[in-house]
Amino acid sequence: MRFFGKIGGSICKNQKKTGFYPTTSHVSRCSFSVFALVFLLMFSIATPVRANQKIEFWTMSLKPKFIPYFQQLVRDYEATHPGIQVEWVDFPWDILQLKLITAIAAGKPPALVNLSVPWAEEMARDGLLEPVDALLAALGQANDYTDAALADLRFRGRVYGFPHYSNVNVIAYNRQILAAAGIRQAPETMDQLLAQAVQIAAKTGKPGYAPALGKIDGFLMQQGLDLIRDGKAVFNSPAHVALIRKLAATYQANGFLKDKLFAEDNFPAVVDAYLGGRLGMMVSAPTALRRIQSDAPGIYAQTGIFTMPAGPTGINDGGWMFHFAIPKGVRQSDLPAIGEFARYLTGDKNQLAFARIAGVMPTTKQALANPYFRQLPQHAGASEQALAVAANSMNSARSLYVAGIDDYDELRRFLVQAVEAGVTGKRDIQLALDEAAAIWNRKLAKGQRR
Amino acid sequence: MKQRLSATPIAYLFLAPALLLLAAFSFWPVFYGSYLSFTDFSLIRETHWVGLDNYRALFENAMFLTGLKNSLLFLLVVPFTQIGAISLALLVNHQLPGMRWFRAAYYVPVVTTVSVVGIMWGFMFHEQGTLNYVLLKLHLIAAPLGFLSDDVLALLAIMFVSFWRGLGWYMVMYLAALQSLPSEMQEAAILDGANRWQRFWRITVPMLYPTIMVCSIMSVLAALKAYQEVDVLTQGGPMNSTFTALYYAYDQGLKHLKLPRGLAASFVVSVCCIGIAFVCLKYLKPRHRE
Repeated sequence: MRFFGKIGGSICKNQKKTGFYPTTSHVSRCSFSVFALVFLLMFSIATPVRANQKIEFWTMSLKPKFIPYFQQLVRDYEATHPGIQVEWVDFPWDILQLKLITAIAAGKPPALVNLSVPWAEEMARDGLLEPVDALLAALGQANDYTDAALADLRFRGRVYGFPHYSNVNVIAYNRQILAAAGIRQAPETMDQLLAQAVQIAAKTGKPGYAPALGKIDGFLMQQGLDLIRDGKAVFNSPAHVALIRKLAATYQANGFLKDKLFAEDNFPAVVDAYLGGRLGMMVSAPTALRRIQSDAPGIYAQTGIFTMPAGPTGINDGGWMFHFAIPKGVRQSDLPAIGEFARYLTGDKNQLAFARIAGVMPTTKQALANPYFRQLPQHAGASEQALAVAANSMNSARSLYVAGIDDYDELRRFLVQAVEAGVTGKRDIQLALDEAAAIWNRKLAKGQRR
Repeated sequence: MKQRLSATPIAYLFLAPALLLLAAFSFWPVFYGSYLSFTDFSLIRETHWVGLDNYRALFENAMFLTGLKNSLLFLLVVPFTQIGAISLALLVNHQLPGMRWFRAAYYVPVVTTVSVVGIMWGFMFHEQGTLNYVLLKLHLIAAPLGFLSDDVLALLAIMFVSFWRGLGWYMVMYLAALQSLPSEMQEAAILDGANRWQRFWRITVPMLYPTIMVCSIMSVLAALKAYQEVDVLTQGGPMNSTFTALYYAYDQGLKHLKLPRGLAASFVVSVCCIGIAFVCLKYLKPRHRE
């Protein structure tokens, strides 16, 4: 009150000096004009152009390593697109799906979200994603990506996202161990790879190979063996049993690294074993080579690279694509701007830049043809060799998973359990697979009744 | 009487903030969660009442039944933890130099976060890890044991970690109880010629009964609710042998967003907890309180 009293007092003093005594309406008109002027001045200085569209995009576990990359990417886009405000949000992978579904349910989804292919398939099945075929066609972008990448994202005839990056496996081998085992040639089939693993174990006492048997579903599919046919589990067929028997024989001959062999993620155990010189061949994406280079330069120096044999399907192992999808609930009028930003985010230039920083493989044809992947430097190390080998395999790298089954992860666990029991010799392979198939069939029958 | 009646509303007034917080953050989630376990709740679809469908599906599910069996097996940890904690409390209840250091050392596992516990015991149990190294050096085993990769050993390994984590906490409880026991009875027993074992068995243990009861119930509930150790060490493997009922609830509810099924599993675990706590209360209650 005292403050307003002082203001009032000073006005009165001025009025006495000028001899002008304004009425109440004069005072209110005058103060309104001053406020309006200040308001306009403030906004004209602060925001030369008003942001009229905000594009929020979510990524998965990319902070803090990629903060400079994404911040620069956002700055560059905003600079060339006045009126667009871009916001980058990163969530740990294990909470992203929950956050996304909550945001969609609340009617506030992000414009773009980073997803893996199985997640996208499940969400597209539930009607939670926008198909992007029209946007890809309108932007003239449909031919930019590799056929394999677009095939990964095509569910029930429609494409549900913009491919961002993927990976494909190569074989990194320890030259000393392979020389001691008398192996000089790259394996050309899975049978040869298993035979080499046994040979390494027999000659050196070290395991030769560490497959991810916790992901046995993808392993079987890559070998051309379906899991489900005509709505029924078929992984107990003679062909499946024969392959599991080969795995069991390799296990019994100590050809496999036993640590975490059946875990959902055995990658850390595999890298540790390879770093310690305890594993002959490490089947992994080229990304792992960077870690070997930094953590065990001695092992890195004696690492060679083989191409991972494609299965009878011609599909290369290790494909696991990430992409940007548009969630349901995004305003239709915003789609063109979102599509344009997605094109920028996943275009040749930015995919290449991201792939170089992250050590992953791009999914656009032009980025894959870049000399970074195609021309090996004179003294190329294993890491560069792995990238070149992987770039050649990318056109047939697919994300392998079983689509369209409710509670699939639980069913997969029963399959892994059966394979583990069979491979470790705790149960008869045929019986274990029969039991798991019966569990699957009961569940699949229920799903069909529903 | 009149004074007591007028004091009652004031007492509730003082209790109100705590009660409101409890109601909002404990009672409401419990009741609402229990209700949702009878529905097909999904964040993206309309919710319908499905009666006992989720429970029927649970008891037809081999993974949940394995989890329930493992949760009950986990109860084997309770007597070992309680006997171990009483023994440790008796040991550190002496005024000897350095005893404080021992008390603190035994309490360290309690304050160690579960992620650190996972990394540490993961390394200890590894086939190339410390435990196998020591056992091999002592010629107690011929080949490394797969503590976390063998379906029989893995559950025992997790139970051991649970035992190791709980020991310090119960030790402190028993230590506090031991230090509050009156010394006169011990002195009288000494005068009567009672030996050490007789004094422990006839005086100390009966006087520790209320603490034993509380600690046992807490330990039973902790054993039935075990899931953190599973998550950081085996994620339910190998061969689904370390799934516990609550880990199943977590796996379904939070990892796979099947909330009604996860809530139904939690509800079953809660009923088991209440039932077993009731049995403990009935049979472990000190006789003089009956």
